[in-house]
Amino acid sequence: MNWTDVLAFARGPLFQVALLVFIAGMAYRLVRVIFLGWQVDKVPARGSKVGGAAISFLKGILIWPFVPWVKNTFKKNPVIYLAGGLFHLGLFVVLVLGTAHMLVWKSLLGFGWKTLPLPIVDWMAAVTIVAMITLFINRLINPVLKLITGPAEWANLAIVFVPMVTGYMMTHHLWFRYEALFSLHMLAVDVLLIWIPLSRISHFMFYFFSKAIHGADFGKRAVEP
Amino acid sequence: MPEKTIYEEMKQKGVTRRDFLKFCGAIVGALGLTRLPTISADGAAYKGAKGFQPAQLVAQALSTKQRVPVIWLELQDCAGCSEALTRSQSPTLGNLVLSQITVEYHETLSAAAGFQVEEAKQAAMQKYAGQYVLVVEGSISPIDDGVYCTIGGRSSLDILKEAAAGAAAIIATGNCAAFGGLPKAKPNPTGAVGVWDLITDKPVINIPGCPAIPEVFTGVLAHFLVFGTLPALDSLHRPVAFYGNTVHDRCLRRPFYEAGKFAESFDDEGARQGWCLYKLGCKGPTTYNACASMKWCGGLSFPVQSGHPCLGCSEPDFWDGGGFYQGQSAPLDKPTVLAAGAALAGGAVVGVGAAALNHAQKKSHKQEPKAKE
Amino acid sequence: MESQIVLDTFIKETGGYVASQLEACTRCGMCAEACHFYQATGNPEYAPVWKIELLKRAYEQRFTLVGKAKLLLGIDKSITDTDIADFSKIVYEACTMCNKCSMVCPMGIQLGPLIHEVRSGFSEAGVVPADLMAAVEKQVEEGSPLGVTDDVYESRLEWVADEWEVELPMDVKGADTLVIFSSIEIMKFPENIAAIAKILNAAGENWTLSKKAREVVNFGFYEGNEERTIMFLQRVFDGAIELGVKKIVVTECGHAYDALRWTSYNLMDVPKGIEITHIVGLIGDYLRTGKIKLKEGAFNDGVVTFHDACKIQRRGGHIKEPREILHVLSPDAFKEMSPSHEESICCGGGGGVIAIKEADPIRYAAFGLKIDQMEKIGATTVVMSCSNCRLQFTDCVQHFNLDVKVAGLSQMVADALVE
Repeated sequence: MNWTDVLAFARGPLFQVALLVFIAGMAYRLVRVIFLGWQVDKVPARGSKVGGAAISFLKGILIWPFVPWVKNTFKKNPVIYLAGGLFHLGLFVVLVLGTAHMLVWKSLLGFGWKTLPLPIVDWMAAVTIVAMITLFINRLINPVLKLITGPAEWANLAIVFVPMVTGYMMTHHLWFRYEALFSLHMLAVDVLLIWIPLSRISHFMFYFFSKAIHGADFGKRAVEP
Repeated sequence: MPEKTIYEEMKQKGVTRRDFLKFCGAIVGALGLTRLPTISADGAAYKGAKGFQPAQLVAQALSTKQRVPVIWLELQDCAGCSEALTRSQSPTLGNLVLSQITVEYHETLSAAAGFQVEEAKQAAMQKYAGQYVLVVEGSISPIDDGVYCTIGGRSSLDILKEAAAGAAAIIATGNCAAFGGLPKAKPNPTGAVGVWDLITDKPVINIPGCPAIPEVFTGVLAHFLVFGTLPALDSLHRPVAFYGNTVHDRCLRRPFYEAGKFAESFDDEGARQGWCLYKLGCKGPTTYNACASMKWCGGLSFPVQSGHPCLGCSEPDFWDGGGFYQGQSAPLDKPTVLAAGAALAGGAVVGVGAAALNHAQKKSHKQEPKAKE
Repeated sequence: MESQIVLDTFIKETGGYVASQLEACTRCGMCAEACHFYQATGNPEYAPVWKIELLKRAYEQRFTLVGKAKLLLGIDKSITDTDIADFSKIVYEACTMCNKCSMVCPMGIQLGPLIHEVRSGFSEAGVVPADLMAAVEKQVEEGSPLGVTDDVYESRLEWVADEWEVELPMDVKGADTLVIFSSIEIMKFPENIAAIAKILNAAGENWTLSKKAREVVNFGFYEGNEERTIMFLQRVFDGAIELGVKKIVVTECGHAYDALRWTSYNLMDVPKGIEITHIVGLIGDYLRTGKIKLKEGAFNDGVVTFHDACKIQRRGGHIKEPREILHVLSPDAFKEMSPSHEESICCGGGGGVIAIKEADPIRYAAFGLKIDQMEKIGATTVVMSCSNCRLQFTDCVQHFNLDVKVAGLSQMVADALVE
């Protein structure tokens, strides 16, 4: 068993299994929540629920996500909002606009797209890693986060962190052989794929629920969400 | 009769001292010698003469040492490495080095055949026991009593073990001898393996590639010739001097990779412009070899330069590392639409089941709190 | 076993709305940055996410495989009666349900309504602060948490009519509009009653009061008890049906407006053809349509600012009207606090908090944020459209000995009416 074997396993059968677990797990969670039943809102609206939801999503995307000067509250802890925002932006850039990852999407979806030059992706990856370390430290020192952080939250951070770091080390050929890092990267990705449906990393799916509910609740009151 | 030194032999063939010194310089360059090697063939620290410059050292070695006897085995191979070597386009180096070895046994190149040549091999092995360099080309099939590869009725494993016993060092040339190569590709019916999987009590130098780069082979040989030691090796027993960088690291198309300019197909504008072939499946980033710096055909070109993505032929199991034209980062296996659909449906069914149970739970509690009032 | 009742209620109330939002929470803790109680005290237990902790745990343990596994493995613990008692204090004393947290939540989770669900569970189990519960029981028995019985109601209104010389039509069948005051106004701000009556009369509104529907405050809603919320709402609707009105106007009371306008429809059958609105919305309409005229610059001295109430502005939607009115009354003096509008900081007294004596220290602490806001712009008058806020402001201004005038919006409008 050398690194090449590990890599073949992690890129091959394990990836396939992890992806299937991911799909099944997410379907399970989505269906379980949707089928829990929804009360029909009979309150006569003052404004547009759909409009509110639309603004809610636009704000979430365009004012990505938490530029500190957009909302007054953010002035209190701007570094953390920036870290959270940059982390997600970086994740998007690296996962969608990085050439290597686009090829993964292409092999899965059957079509590809234009990608960004490597230095941009690379710097974004570095920013993402720094942002994540910042969030990690914040979790250690913020009194509220100390209260609400349990093993699951630490596991989330670690399981997202490992693929990012191994990916970065791999593109820079740092310290270890490329195949070793590639193997670790893929193993970590497989673990992540399996972990997502079991954890709160799945928030990207429920984001669409909570944001829509938020927008509709404010929209029907004719208040900007 | 004491044998002649290499320099003496060269002089006899009409090589002038001036040409000899130039040759020494060329070897130093080929080996990338900026300092003296530290490890000798037996693994002990090398006690090189202090104060010598590398070229002087080479000159001294060649004027005191005798030609190196070589036994060349071909097992599960295609003779491609031999072919590449004999067609080597750098006579000043390769040919001269090759002229300084005595190939005692080589199936393809020997004039003799059959029992005669086998006898010659036995004789050479006895005569040069403990001195000869064993070059292996092709993988070994150790399973099922070796029936899948026999020469003169003997299995490849037998032949290798016998030849290895008296060797000073073993050079595994080509991906087959080094890592099992093409014969080892899935499903590997012959159980093919590389030399270092079987021989652990002798120094084994791997020079993988399909074929191995001739100049790398001659460089390693020259090193052994000059110093009587092995060059510095990496974890896969490859000489670091030649396998220290990836093809990607030294690739002339690398700037296009950095700039995000990729050929999307073999006949698009990007391909004509010479852009990076990463998206067409180039394995350069994971392939450690000297193609991009030493190149082929006398430094003329190498695959990526001529428009074809690197196959990664010097890496272990390159044949099973995904499609040659599939992006390197792409997964090797992906679920079929059916499997994905089944997973989706399965997850959804479990989800509906869970929701039903949860509903039942909600119903059973519906009255309870009010009853407590 | 209070915890059992609480859990059962959570289970009953957890549908897609609650579940999807609980699932969306990333536990980033940002909501704490919005909570005035956390900001004022620094107590992490006041973070909104912590207030829904039990709801989340109940959901995970009862509804999800992962939660069940966590319980089996001992990573998560069952909810105990001690937990319930601890969280009861947090949820009732340190939350005004102002929903500011939902504005900063990156996932947009409606923490206010979720905390309301938590209160529901606690109220079913009877783990409610004694002060609040006493007020609820008073409303059940006497019809008003502040002891406004039928007699008190009649005598107070008679006195108001005399004192301010306004006509207060009572139980007029066939009137268009039923106006219902809160007992805070009746007992503490009677001038508000007179002011609103003046405005309605000036606008020529065909309105009435009702003896049956004489209390708009809904302490069942504060408590989070569905049954009692419906009971108090029904009293209001009974009065409206009896008089056959087309419109119910909630006066300056925030929680009542939330219960009546934005919640009742989903709890019970609301009589058809009755529009529910807030007095601020009504005055805004009068001003726009020219039914009333106001003296421009009637309150143009010093710095006048407006405090947005969580239930009338952020969660009621009447954000523009007060500004339109104040731009007429105080064109030069009017100055916004920061933040304001839908992102305003809560007064700290809503959601029943002001009714709980034990919550006084943190209620005053939370008001500190409001003081900072007012001091920053040098406000001399602070206007609001919610009596509960006004109660908190009046109390705190006295407590901190501030030189700020606290005013009700309706009252200022009434004072500036041009005949």
